[in-house]
Amino acid sequence: MISHRDNNTQRIAALDERAEALKLKRGMGIADARAMHPSIDVVEADAEADRRLLEGLADWCDRYTPLVAIDAEDGLFLDVTGCTHLFGGERAMQDEILTRFFQQGFDVRAGLASTPGAAWAAARFHGDRIVAGGEEEALLAPLPLSALRIAPETRAGLESVGLRTAGAVMAAPRAPLARRFGATLLLRLDQALGRLDEAVSPRLPVAPLSVERHLAEPVMHTDDIERLISRLAVALKTDLERRGEGARTLALLLFRVDGAVSRIAVGTSRPMREPRLIQKLFHERLTALEQNIDAGFGFDLVRLSVLSVAAFDMLQGDLTGEADDDDADIALFADRVRARLGEAAVLKPVVVESHLPERAVKTVPFAEAPQRRAPAAGRTAPPMTIYPPERPVRLFRSPEPIDVPATEIPEGPPMNFRWRRALYRVARAEGPERIAAEWWRQLPGEEEAPTRDYYRIEDSEGRRYWLYRQGLYGSVEQAVPPRWYMHGVFA
Amino acid sequence: MAMSAVARDTVFALRRQIAKIEGTLPERLQAPAPGAPIDATGSDMTPDMTIIRHGLAVASANAFLHTGIERLDSALGGGLPKAALSEIHGLETRDAGAVAGFALSLVSLILREKQGLPILWVGTAEIFHEAGLPYARGLHALFGIEPEQLLFSEAPKLLDALWIAEEAARMTAFAAVILEVRGSPQRLDLTATRRLHARAQSANRPVLLLRQAGEADPTAAPVRLIVSAAPAANRETVAGPLAGSIGRPAFKVDIGKSRTALPGQFTLEWNPDEHAFAERTENSVAVVPASGRGADPAPASGAVLAFPAVATSATGDKPSRQQHPTHSSPRRAG
Repeated sequence: MISHRDNNTQRIAALDERAEALKLKRGMGIADARAMHPSIDVVEADAEADRRLLEGLADWCDRYTPLVAIDAEDGLFLDVTGCTHLFGGERAMQDEILTRFFQQGFDVRAGLASTPGAAWAAARFHGDRIVAGGEEEALLAPLPLSALRIAPETRAGLESVGLRTAGAVMAAPRAPLARRFGATLLLRLDQALGRLDEAVSPRLPVAPLSVERHLAEPVMHTDDIERLISRLAVALKTDLERRGEGARTLALLLFRVDGAVSRIAVGTSRPMREPRLIQKLFHERLTALEQNIDAGFGFDLVRLSVLSVAAFDMLQGDLTGEADDDDADIALFADRVRARLGEAAVLKPVVVESHLPERAVKTVPFAEAPQRRAPAAGRTAPPMTIYPPERPVRLFRSPEPIDVPATEIPEGPPMNFRWRRALYRVARAEGPERIAAEWWRQLPGEEEAPTRDYYRIEDSEGRRYWLYRQGLYGSVEQAVPPRWYMHGVFA
Repeated sequence: MAMSAVARDTVFALRRQIAKIEGTLPERLQAPAPGAPIDATGSDMTPDMTIIRHGLAVASANAFLHTGIERLDSALGGGLPKAALSEIHGLETRDAGAVAGFALSLVSLILREKQGLPILWVGTAEIFHEAGLPYARGLHALFGIEPEQLLFSEAPKLLDALWIAEEAARMTAFAAVILEVRGSPQRLDLTATRRLHARAQSANRPVLLLRQAGEADPTAAPVRLIVSAAPAANRETVAGPLAGSIGRPAFKVDIGKSRTALPGQFTLEWNPDEHAFAERTENSVAVVPASGRGADPAPASGAVLAFPAVATSATGDKPSRQQHPTHSSPRRAG
């Protein structure tokens, strides 16, 4: 028996058949139940775990249709339009779903109808029924009002005026109903009867293309999975070729025999359709995930789907049949590294127009970086300054505070400084180069960021650093003394 | 000749294999001289089978990257091998700037031939955090490396960094691969470096292994250079060197290991305008063109009578001598 807290009382949220046999009911207080049967076993409800379980089941249902939606906290919608023939018809499909759920230890009610509302009612009030198109009215008419998916207050209101079944509501005139009970009631009614379309929003976007293979004998080894991937990728290639597209994101779904589903996605930085390359990418991903994928008793359904596509540019090969494309090599390399080590494993610097050194270069993941520019014909290069300011070879992620005991003159470079607990003596210094904060980024009302004075410093051993002082000495309104930071090192 | 042709072939094959394992080509088959009669030397000894044993610098001249410094090239036995793993050590993490700068200047030399090819810089998260990420703006000005040419790869662990470097080293699409690690990790042993070296050899691309604050562990790299920073020379201006300024980057390079096993210490200066090294033999802070001060200025009107000795003894860029003649005047000694 499972309890939950409602209005400061512990109440029964769910109970099993044996508890039902003891004449306990949902919504009953736990104290009352214990008074009746002191030996009952009460477990606190865990909504989060229930949710996870339902999502796991929804994942598993992906094997029947890509359109799976979660309905409230205890239901799943499966849009099986066009899928039933793959499983031998509606009856066979529903039977199979019920059998397999039963084998996994779930007690499931299912209903199949041409509208979500009718299927919902069929599942909840009949348990195992298939409603043919046009029979919705006959199905709903004898059912109580709760079959209409309406709020409890509306239901209570309807019952108070004597409308106790869905059929009675259908027979009542519409205008007064709408006036008194709101539009939702009629909307639900129309949706259930198929007069209005109701969209079931699937949990996951539907893949434009996917290929799958049902296996009589479950596979467990990574090698076997990889072999399957390359076979599926071959099938995928013809589809992609027909559409003139290449895959940008690919997902591999592994359905385990006991219902768990693993979803493995890889991204590519260029549209891809070559089965060998697809297999390579998944090879890296599977190697990286080796510990995280629990094959258990094996996978009995493997599906490879293309989540996003892009136009594929055919490349003319030369006479030897090899298209020599270094960029493609690098893109593949970056994809493989990304598949194994994550999105930010290969970074590309992008130059941004900014005075602030840390903002002037942005590192972005390779896949998001702009392609290497072709020599632009019409565009003129930005004017080069004759003496661009010297910039360090390495820049620290964030400026590191240093301790400057004394400067020769207040606005001058330091005489010595302490960085990472070592003392450095300054032999020579160049500067300052004053870089002010970008006022145009400043939000109104925000305090103005202090300016920085950058110095090139050479210490007594010949190492060159880039330091800066934030703020100025001796300004009256500023209470904080200026602080020094190490920002980079020169060659 | 008694040796059968098959046996000779086997010997040649074995020698070639040994040479490949050693990373050198100690023997080379001489091509027949053009126009030479084929049958001149004998019936069973074709001239293209002649073996010529060379000294150390044997492989084709193109196999080495010439640093442009005669002394350094000869000490390395012809230059830095192009298709090989080369180690560049920094003794302390604070030398990371110098080590990175030296490696990038080598890359810049490599890029002279392979223009436009990208460079991959692989590092562990630790080293990028400790020593900072290479800054694309600075690299462009100093080494002529465009930001588009750069790729970074940050690996959470050394094992991943090694994997990335190995995968990249076998590709010919990169001009060079730089692997940067910190300290002397156990994983970076003879086997790991040998794998990198072998891949660099077969792809004919250089792999630079930068090790910050590491010990000189045994590795498979044929060359190890130990780099630290050297004080920079003053900036050159039209009016001579600018006192107190910080000029071109300078490096102190020690040869830690090379095929010739010749020790050597060099002070190199990188010229960012010409993208070339220059060697500094003396402390070049004092080196100054002769005409920098003294000879060219317009002669003072009238006859110069006093202090004739001071004007001739001004050799360096020390203007103070003329401004403060008391330094060399006998009055001070008295």
